[in-house]
Amino acid sequence: MDTSWYLVLSALLFAVGFSGVLLRRSPLVILLCVELMLNAGNLALLAMSRSLGDQDGQVFALIVMVIAACEVVVGLGLIVAAYRRRMPLNVDDFRSLRG
Amino acid sequence: MTFTAPQIDYAGLSPIITLTAGVVIVLMVGLLPRAGRWTCSVLTLGVLGTAAGLAIWQWGEHTDLVAGTLRLDELGLAALLIALFAAAVTVILSVREPAAEGAGHGAFYALLLGSVLGMAILSMSQNLVSFFIGLELLSIPLYVLCGSAVRREASLEAGLKYLIIGSVGSATLLYGFALIYGTAGSTDYNEIAQGIRNGGLADDTLILIGTAMAATGLAFKISIAPFHQWTPDVYQGAPTPVTSFMAVATKTVAFIASIRLFELALGPVEASWDGALAVLAVISIAVGNIGALGQDSIKRLLGYSGIAQAGYILSGLVVFDEFGVEAIIFYLAAYALMNLAVFVPLVARERETPFADDIRSVEGLGGSRPLLAWPMTIGLLGLAGIPGTVGFMGKLFLIEAAVGGHFTWIGVAIVVGSMVSLAYYLRVIAAIWMRPEPAGAGAPAIAGASPEAPESNSAPGSTHGGDSSASRPGSTHGGDSSASRPGSTHGGDSSASRPGSPGGSRCWLIVGVGMLCAAATIFFGIDPSPLVDWAANAGQSFDPFAG
Repeated sequence: MDTSWYLVLSALLFAVGFSGVLLRRSPLVILLCVELMLNAGNLALLAMSRSLGDQDGQVFALIVMVIAACEVVVGLGLIVAAYRRRMPLNVDDFRSLRG
Repeated sequence: MTFTAPQIDYAGLSPIITLTAGVVIVLMVGLLPRAGRWTCSVLTLGVLGTAAGLAIWQWGEHTDLVAGTLRLDELGLAALLIALFAAAVTVILSVREPAAEGAGHGAFYALLLGSVLGMAILSMSQNLVSFFIGLELLSIPLYVLCGSAVRREASLEAGLKYLIIGSVGSATLLYGFALIYGTAGSTDYNEIAQGIRNGGLADDTLILIGTAMAATGLAFKISIAPFHQWTPDVYQGAPTPVTSFMAVATKTVAFIASIRLFELALGPVEASWDGALAVLAVISIAVGNIGALGQDSIKRLLGYSGIAQAGYILSGLVVFDEFGVEAIIFYLAAYALMNLAVFVPLVARERETPFADDIRSVEGLGGSRPLLAWPMTIGLLGLAGIPGTVGFMGKLFLIEAAVGGHFTWIGVAIVVGSMVSLAYYLRVIAAIWMRPEPAGAGAPAIAGASPEAPESNSAPGSTHGGDSSASRPGSTHGGDSSASRPGSTHGGDSSASRPGSPGGSRCWLIVGVGMLCAAATIFFGIDPSPLVDWAANAGQSFDPFAG
């Protein structure tokens, strides 16, 4: 099996994630879509690492997983804080900052 | 089986080790029951000062650290020093910040130090992996800091917006890195450049897509148009000390890291990215300067001005030569001084008036509080590039670099952009000096409604005059903060609302920092040679152009 198929799959995942960020309105779903984008990058890293026979890409992917987890923790924390303030959980209604 | 320990260059890593230890210590000390705001902030200033001292000690070293993932040279150390300076000013501004009170001072300063640690790693990184770690270590604490004023919806909204946009930028960057890694066959910058040269990959589709995605991801981080939409919102919503840190330090370090990435690793594909980045620079200059016109919120105005300034600085990257790098470093140092000189009075006024960061908060400042008005005026004139300030010298070098690198049209864009920018900078300066102070300006921000307190307007102003004239411009941060302790222990927010009380003491430290930045802006504008030598020293340590 050729590496390019993995790259095509990862590009599709990235596109799905990116369109999700643009189209969905709930910050929770947007956070999920960002994870999808990061994992698309991970898949590309692993495929490349495999085809090169080089370990660096795998190490990179592991580190990215840790970083993605940190981002989700912070994101969920902010969403919970916003929910407690009775802010609408809809990014279209985030309107206190504009101009 | 024998164990051979790896060779660790503790001296070279010492600034990073100090900052890491500082994060832990400040966080722990913040949990102590007796730890007040001054304990944590003095400790944080101590950590920052130690890291700066170690960075100056390592100035002149050229080695690879941690198996070549970090590069110790003056370029990285210069960025680190600017970031440390910005962080120290932020700590001084945060001492009475409501957001820091709410979050706990230990946590607030530990997050700040964590972000500075990310900046140290990012500015030294010469490997895609360490670049990504540094960038995220820089960003994630900043997301929290932006949302740290949990009582204000605007702050939470800013944090969430920054998190979402920042993560999208990171993911785009990561995908670009994956493609670059896969095609060039390594994560090390030198090996990537070699892989591209040896494989004749300069026109390879995957490399070009990877470069474009990495550039996009970085453009999100340094707020280059058209990836800038978050900047004004986040600048406005975040607590003001955090905004000043974000504006200065993040931009500096992200630019230095892009210099390494683009000029070292992606140097062989320079022909493909320089035109695109040049166009982005001009778009940023246009969007930033036009967007800032007619903004009533000064923080929003500075957000748009930051977009325009990022466009100016990007021109130094586009020209791809040593003079461009030196011009960038000079301008980044200048930008730090000028921007902090504007932010410092803004923080002081935000706490004194009920207008938050609206332009009304500085109206009449020239008459009532000249020691806050002057730094702001000098900083704004510097950002506009008026001769006699360091901003003029910085723009001169950038234009010279652009013209020398056959990008004369960017030089023209910088000049036109500066002319447009005068319209909004002068509007703020006019508000400072030519408008009367609005009614209720003396009321503290917490009150919300505006109780009439006309006599309190003049009283703090006069006490301030006496107080801050004693601030020595050359004094160190450590000395500053310990000296101010006795005066401000009982100052509190309440003293401002008591008319006639000597409440001025509570922020003479802030006034002193503002005056220091403004004095440096003027000093390096008149005699730029020390800063020029410093920037040249840093620029020459990074030399991918010889090969």
